[in-house]
Amino acid sequence: MDSRSSSKLGILLLLLLALAATGCVMVQPAQREFLADPAMTFGSEGTAGAMEEHVLSNREGSAGAGAVTGGGCGCN
Amino acid sequence: MRTLLSTVSVLLVALVAAPALADTAEIDAYSTLFYEFGGPLEMLVVNPQVRVRVDPADEVQITAAYEADIVSGASVAVVDSPSADVDVISSATQLDDVRSVVTGGLTLNSPFGRLRGSYSYGFESDYTSHSFTIGARSEVFERNTTFDLSYARGFDSVCDLNQPRAQEAVERRRLDVSDGCFDGENDLRTAHDLALQTFQGSWTQAWAPIFVTQLTLTAQLVDGFQSNPYRAVWLGRSAAQEHHPDNRFRYAASLGARLWIEPLSGALSARVRVYRDNWDVRSITAEAAYEQSIDGAVRVRVRGRYYTQGAAAFFSDDYGIRPVGQYFTGDRELSDQESFMAGLSLVWTLTPGSEGANLGPLQAFRLVLKADYIHHEFPGFNYVRASVPNNNSIMGTLGIELIF
Repeated sequence: MDSRSSSKLGILLLLLLALAATGCVMVQPAQREFLADPAMTFGSEGTAGAMEEHVLSNREGSAGAGAVTGGGCGCN
Repeated sequence: MRTLLSTVSVLLVALVAAPALADTAEIDAYSTLFYEFGGPLEMLVVNPQVRVRVDPADEVQITAAYEADIVSGASVAVVDSPSADVDVISSATQLDDVRSVVTGGLTLNSPFGRLRGSYSYGFESDYTSHSFTIGARSEVFERNTTFDLSYARGFDSVCDLNQPRAQEAVERRRLDVSDGCFDGENDLRTAHDLALQTFQGSWTQAWAPIFVTQLTLTAQLVDGFQSNPYRAVWLGRSAAQEHHPDNRFRYAASLGARLWIEPLSGALSARVRVYRDNWDVRSITAEAAYEQSIDGAVRVRVRGRYYTQGAAAFFSDDYGIRPVGQYFTGDRELSDQESFMAGLSLVWTLTPGSEGANLGPLQAFRLVLKADYIHHEFPGFNYVRASVPNNNSIMGTLGIELIF
């Protein structure tokens, strides 16, 4: 196995480990007051954020991986 | 014009009917102004948008939207032409165009997740697009984890000068005006296809009551005509329409984090994005922001953004002296660049009873104000010896949201 394959395998294992760890994370509904705040919600910039991405993607050579709406707070 | 009028009419009807059709409805009206200044190649883009959302049932959301890009400014038609070092504006041409996009979408909610689909049709004098998007979202692990997947398929069409006798790219001339595009009767015009496929996945995770992260991955495949048909590049003895590869594979990954600062009742956020494509454009974007809530009704956000990009493999600042393979471009977006951005936004939400407000049928009224300043550096791009004159821009957004 060359070093490139082993580094890809390492990244994959790290991702799997992180995904497995998510099952242990338990923020209870009563603890979600701050997570439900718009400031803690990804994509809360809404239309204004989307318009900004539209303008920037027309001025720069790259695009993608923008914020996806949602905060993992069960508030959507 | 007919299509535009029909679209506006339908939206006006929707605007009036939306609150009556559903228990919950939302109408958003936004406009963004982008102005690039600092030299003779000024560019102004106004982007108004109206969006209506109705929820005819708890499980169903229907959206309809219209947006336009109204562009006016000056653009260099022949990049690096010998006269450009004397006066960049001497070879610039006036650019005025309006792009309209209409969108319709449907979202279905269930206790297990959310499914969404939308269709957009974009049209302007020299470009049309049809875009379909489907997506799914699911919340798992006591709703601490959210996965979102989406796929978009675009079918675009680009107008160009019909040049059947030009066998080689270096023989192709640029399109000078859009007159006759897509009318089907003009032998001097033709249309090229451009197909787009975009896959995106995101994982949002609440790690603690005050900390949440989001990982987003995007892969995009673009296949077809990707040059600007109006732009030509000076190749040493003559100029030819710029010539980009037909295939582009684009990959981007971003990691964002938000942290609640309890003593301040505000949130810190940071985001890093890396990007690469098979044209060898590579970029890194870093952003940081702080958002403060004031009395629950006003939110103020300050932010900074840094962007750096490496040039495409086939980019050259002077193809007459340093040609790079079979492709040539006059697009500064494909050169080395850096940009710095600083911005401020303010969101004011008024609900019935707050500050003694009587909002009638409204559940909430929201006002959004946003302003950003951007400074660009193009160290490897020159119009012969003249550097890019317009390297500063401002962007302002005004938005109103009515929630019934």
